[in-house]
Amino acid sequence: MWVGLRLISTGMLRYPRLMVISVLGALCWMAVTVLTPYLQKLVVDDAIEANRRNLLVPLVLTVLLAGAIRAASIAWRRWNAFGLAYRFEVDLRGQIFSAIQKLGFDYHDHASAGELMARASTDLTQVRLVYMMLPITFANIITATMVGVMAFVLDPVMGLLAAFTLPTMMGFAVLYARRTTGISFQVQQILAEMSRMAQEGISGIAVTKAFGQEAREARRAKGVATDIFTKSLSLARFRSIYLPWFELIPTLITLCALWVGGIRVANGDMTIGDLVAFTQYLVILHFPIRMTGWFFAELPRSSAAAARVVELLRAPVSVTAPELPRRLPPGGGEIRFQGVTFAYEDTDVLSGLDLHIPAGSSVALFGATGCGKTTLTQLIPRFYDPQAGIISIDGIDTRQLDLTDLRREVAVAFEEPFLFSATVAENIGFGAPDADLSRIVAAARIADAHEFIQELPYGYETVVGERGLSLSGGQRQRLALARAIVGNPRILILDDATSAVDAITEAHIHAELVENMAGRTTIVIAHRTSTLLLADRIIILEGGKVLAMGEHQELWDNVPRYRQLLAETSPVR
Amino acid sequence: MYARYGTDDPVPDRLNLLRRAAGSVRYMALPALGAAVAALISTMSRVAGPIVIREAVDRGIVPQNTSVIANAALVFVAIVVAQYVATRVTLYTVAWMGERFMMDLRNRVFTHVLGMDMAFFGRTKTGVLVARLTSDIESLQVFAAEGAIQVVGSTMMVVGVSVALFVVDPSLATLVMLLMPFLLAISYRFGRDSGRAYRRWRGQVGKVLAALSENISGVREVQANAQEQRQEERFSKIDEEFYKRGMAAAKTIVTYFPGVDFLRAAGLALVLYIGGSRVLDGEMSIGSLIAFLLYLNWFFEPIVQLANVYNLLQGALAALYKLYGLEDEQPAITEAAQTTPLPEQVAGHIRLNRVTFGYEPHEPIIADLNLSITAGQRVAVVGATGSGKTTMVRLIARFYEPQVGAVTLDGIDLRDLSFTDLRRTVAMVPQEGFLFEDSLRFNLSFGQQEMSDHQIWEACRTVGITEWVESLPEGLDTPMRERGNRLSSGERQLVALTRALVVDPAIVILDEATSNLDPETENQVETALETLLAGRTSIVVAHRLQTARRADRVLVMEDGKLVEDGTYQELAARQGPFADLIRTWKTSERRA
Repeated sequence: MWVGLRLISTGMLRYPRLMVISVLGALCWMAVTVLTPYLQKLVVDDAIEANRRNLLVPLVLTVLLAGAIRAASIAWRRWNAFGLAYRFEVDLRGQIFSAIQKLGFDYHDHASAGELMARASTDLTQVRLVYMMLPITFANIITATMVGVMAFVLDPVMGLLAAFTLPTMMGFAVLYARRTTGISFQVQQILAEMSRMAQEGISGIAVTKAFGQEAREARRAKGVATDIFTKSLSLARFRSIYLPWFELIPTLITLCALWVGGIRVANGDMTIGDLVAFTQYLVILHFPIRMTGWFFAELPRSSAAAARVVELLRAPVSVTAPELPRRLPPGGGEIRFQGVTFAYEDTDVLSGLDLHIPAGSSVALFGATGCGKTTLTQLIPRFYDPQAGIISIDGIDTRQLDLTDLRREVAVAFEEPFLFSATVAENIGFGAPDADLSRIVAAARIADAHEFIQELPYGYETVVGERGLSLSGGQRQRLALARAIVGNPRILILDDATSAVDAITEAHIHAELVENMAGRTTIVIAHRTSTLLLADRIIILEGGKVLAMGEHQELWDNVPRYRQLLAETSPVR
Repeated sequence: MYARYGTDDPVPDRLNLLRRAAGSVRYMALPALGAAVAALISTMSRVAGPIVIREAVDRGIVPQNTSVIANAALVFVAIVVAQYVATRVTLYTVAWMGERFMMDLRNRVFTHVLGMDMAFFGRTKTGVLVARLTSDIESLQVFAAEGAIQVVGSTMMVVGVSVALFVVDPSLATLVMLLMPFLLAISYRFGRDSGRAYRRWRGQVGKVLAALSENISGVREVQANAQEQRQEERFSKIDEEFYKRGMAAAKTIVTYFPGVDFLRAAGLALVLYIGGSRVLDGEMSIGSLIAFLLYLNWFFEPIVQLANVYNLLQGALAALYKLYGLEDEQPAITEAAQTTPLPEQVAGHIRLNRVTFGYEPHEPIIADLNLSITAGQRVAVVGATGSGKTTMVRLIARFYEPQVGAVTLDGIDLRDLSFTDLRRTVAMVPQEGFLFEDSLRFNLSFGQQEMSDHQIWEACRTVGITEWVESLPEGLDTPMRERGNRLSSGERQLVALTRALVVDPAIVILDEATSNLDPETENQVETALETLLAGRTSIVVAHRLQTARRADRVLVMEDGKLVEDGTYQELAARQGPFADLIRTWKTSERRA
């Protein structure tokens, strides 16, 4: 709560100019608003009642002028308040975006995408709401105080009436706003449940049809729909009880003023003009007070939202680049692991692993499921940092390198690659913005993707990804592979990157790789045994350490565990 | 509140649309009448207030008669009570009607969609359908909950206040009415322009969210390629456009509301000048002037409210239009009026008699196909992608109907069977099964309405997943979620197979999974599959050599035709298309 409020208040300090001028606009608006009933009083008392016709025209013109100033100040205040709110939202979203991009794999392994989205959308919207209201709320509070004082000046008895009614109105408004937001939140939740049901009902339609369970699904949806009905109706009931009061309050105030004030006018203690002005004040204040009540009711929710945003912005980044990074000297991608220990929270994966992969070699990692093959490769580009030990590339500790340099030199093709909603060419050239089309095509050829790309409706200009053409798993993998090689990395990691490609194509790709990636280091992880054989050397991982390393035949002859593992992964078909 | 403005284009035939909506709520005529009466009373009592004040001023305060003031105050109390009750009744009744309409619409549309045939789901994008059932219905909901009452209340208020102005002073009222065209003109422009501006803004909100979502899903690729900087620049461009469009929308608000305010001031000046002069001339009482001033404030408010809900109304109409369009689509496959009952004991003999079918009527996928599968036979269907094997099995499950010819089960045309009989007899099992976000129990017993836990455990035991279910944190009650405790591909397959077994169908149609499993799970799935298929007629769309080898009969399809039909051994020996297929399979499944 306090963290959130602090974020909201630092935002105000960040745009002092916008904040000040919109508060000034609001104050100007309020001043004129308060002045208008007084001008009306002057018209009624000094011109009409006092029968001074010559005052009528100047006073009426003043009313018109006041109206013009009021309109201008509303426009001014609103425009700046909108500017303030949107600017702050965009700034914060930029920060959130950048935080999300910087947070490492360890964070994203546990974070839910939906939650992160909520930070940058619904939470920010909630913060923006309060921001739009800020200037006017400042002005409203100042005005309400001023009107109270004015009322005392006009007539002390009526002042007491104001001192009683204004806080009551305020309290009532806060109460109402708080209760309704509570119930509407519940309604929102059931509506979300309905959306989920609809999504599920349609995605699962084939199963529903196959088992003839349409009626049952409809009944399930009906249950939720009925829930929405009852919850919405309880909100409606609540509103119907309290909402009329908001209309009645001005009327009741008029009634009080009429009763008390009327008697005082009748007794000659105050003028009719005073009574008219006073009644108008209270009525005019009704709406601002309601808005202020709404503001204070929303504030806890907004500061809670802001607190969640702060939490994300402050999440510690586990992998950071050194202040003064070293440059990577020219080399062929020699990799050395020395005493590397790594664990995900409580699960030990690597324990004191030593490994040397010579420059320019191609190795395959092999071992039972969960033995740490993927983890090992992900330590090289520092997707994670080991708890102990050193990993070096061409003789330099990876932690001394700039992260961008390191990751440009170490390219990874994942098993389930992500394609951006962009053209094929942009997807392949994602990591190498300077690559021209000829380089992209060359990479696509190596990855055996060129042919199918040419058959796409717009070739390399075809938009793929979520909002584009959907490709098969094998096609996606080949694009990812092209993406990994286009930047000419010194180390290429293929993490089961051709699992969805058929064996013949896979062999073809590897042959191309051998030819084109000469002098570079390649690390392959594969479930398919045929893939293993494409590497020069095989590394067997077990118990968090390297069990053996060598050529297939060598291992087959000397390492019984290798034969055993191979037998397990190749069930007789 | 602006975020809720509709995103849709205006609707062609609004009148017809409203007529249809009104027709569907005819049973609400009585509450509607009640609401109208209550709204009338509420408006009238509100409007009566200033008149009472006028009386109090002119007859009580000015002549200094305190008893009149007290009487006026009492009348005021009565009015206040009437106003409260009437407003409350109006609010609640209108909300009730709106919510009731929404509930009926939801149920009707949902049931209707579920009843559509598979061809409909094939040609309609999931996203579009989900949008109909969610965002479209919600924009109606927003209108039902907040807009409808505004339209009713504000319209009545405009009329009521106008009448009151004329009652108090006709000539002054005529003068005020001169402002009306200006007010209506700027209100109309606001309704139109702000609607457009907010539609554009919301479009950009969607883009911002899409860009963000993409970067969250692809964050590993971004980091692996060290593209954080560039992605941030891209995103900030999109977000900057969001700011611009937000401000463009703000502009409409920033011009409209001050505009109304100035008109109000102009009205006030007009009334003060003319009214003041007339009071001075003795043509009008000071009380009338005060009452008139009070009404003037109320005159502008409801018109502003109407301009505000104009967009809500437009969004709601657009949504209704699309929902009615959806309701007008009729399913191509329906239950026959006269169904032939299926005997309790079904043999499971399937015949395709000169069947022709295409998803597009003039592009047949399957042409003049004849096939007979005897009861208890285990058939594997193989063929390249697009050869028509999946289409053929869909016809057997009556997911689609042939354009020519017939599919029969034990001699009865599928079209003559009731849906209930068909579904309990023919189970179509996608092996990579879909899981509903509900408990495991719900997912396992999906095909059978009422099942005791004992029966479910029995099925688990038969398939051999008892141990696995017991290992889950909450056993049968474990929620199946998309995120969180996600099941592995093998586990999903096991659930799908158990789900089919529970129904105990005479005929199983299985679309074999293509994904690779780890050896242990693979064995489990194989066992479960054997259990399911044993003793039933089964048709398996096979993707693997092993599956074809285990079948009694292999059908090879090519371009919608049966090119080979026989046992595995026969076909393997024949050097035909199947033998080629075996060779391809063997290479791709080649292991060291």
